[in-house]
Amino acid sequence: MQTKLASGIVVALVIALFYIVSFPLNTWLSATMPRHQIIQLPAMIFLGVLLAMPLHRLQVKDTAWGIALLIYVMASLVFWMLPHSIDYAFVETWFNRLMHVNMVTVGLLITAVMRGIRFEVKILFIGMVASMLMATGVALRSFNILLCSSYSIDQQRETGMYVILIGVAVYILTVVTFGRMLRANRLRQTQ
Amino acid sequence: MSAFTIFSYTLADAGPVPRPMPVFNLVAQDSSSFTISDLHRFTLVNFVYLNCPDVCHKVNNKIEEIYHEFDSTIVPSKLGFLTISFDLANDDIRKLNKYREYFGEDLRGWTFALPHGLSEVQFDKILKEIGIWAHRVPDRGIINHSIYMFLVDEHQTIVKTLDPARLSNAEIINQISQCIPGVAHAN
Repeated sequence: MQTKLASGIVVALVIALFYIVSFPLNTWLSATMPRHQIIQLPAMIFLGVLLAMPLHRLQVKDTAWGIALLIYVMASLVFWMLPHSIDYAFVETWFNRLMHVNMVTVGLLITAVMRGIRFEVKILFIGMVASMLMATGVALRSFNILLCSSYSIDQQRETGMYVILIGVAVYILTVVTFGRMLRANRLRQTQ
Repeated sequence: MSAFTIFSYTLADAGPVPRPMPVFNLVAQDSSSFTISDLHRFTLVNFVYLNCPDVCHKVNNKIEEIYHEFDSTIVPSKLGFLTISFDLANDDIRKLNKYREYFGEDLRGWTFALPHGLSEVQFDKILKEIGIWAHRVPDRGIINHSIYMFLVDEHQTIVKTLDPARLSNAEIINQISQCIPGVAHAN
């Protein structure tokens, strides 16, 4: 009974936060590129992760399905980083909300797959995300031409710097996770 | 790759060059009415709006340098320059004329103009046909837009698209010169 209540509270919280980020705060969050790409987009992924928390049975153990879903996740992330998509999301509010829904789904799927998939796939996925973020960040920082018509070149460079920092953080997370898993495996083998 | 940015997508969506330049009515800085088909010469067309915080003025400064690179045997007889404003709501002939004065007193062959008799919706449609992305940001007076320049020949055909963000003045002059018969520029 208590678990159901907790799950209900989490779901209600996610819906409330989704509404706040996607509706009343949307104009403010879309006003600059760093807010849109560094706050709004990851906030939606976080909401997806939060939504998956009480859904303990939601996990993908099958490697083939897991990899297929992670490819979908990567494709979604790449799609919403394209300058054309960012511009269209700025111009059309419905398209921006499509991004929100897609990112919540991404958060939900990442949690489901990470719960059940084998260690090697987890490390590969986190490593790929880190590389993609760092490469995107470097591109945004180094390009001397405006990529998104909706934002300025200064905002483009600022976003690039934050994306690099997030990429480095995710890379450190990859190394730490790899080390921990390796140690846990060794301990298991020695026992 | 053409879909990577909204600028490149809109340009690619307009089709490959050579393609016809849409003909629409314009009013020049001296209040005279004309269309591109009245010019009967090669014309380098670009689009700006006067409230632009920076990029439009940078592009026009670049065009000013290019304009002065061509001698009087080429401009205005063989090549003209046409700067058209996007901003139907805020720009007018008086402002455009004053703005033109910043680039010098003797600007023969460089016309600044406003579209005439067109609604914003109609003009946006024409811009898309040309290959220009323009979006008016509500309540902020800002127009997000492409900065491509188009070389239009005497038959109103777009023969060249030039990107001032990627090309140097020398490259632009060279590409324009190659298109105009009898013009061989030393650059």
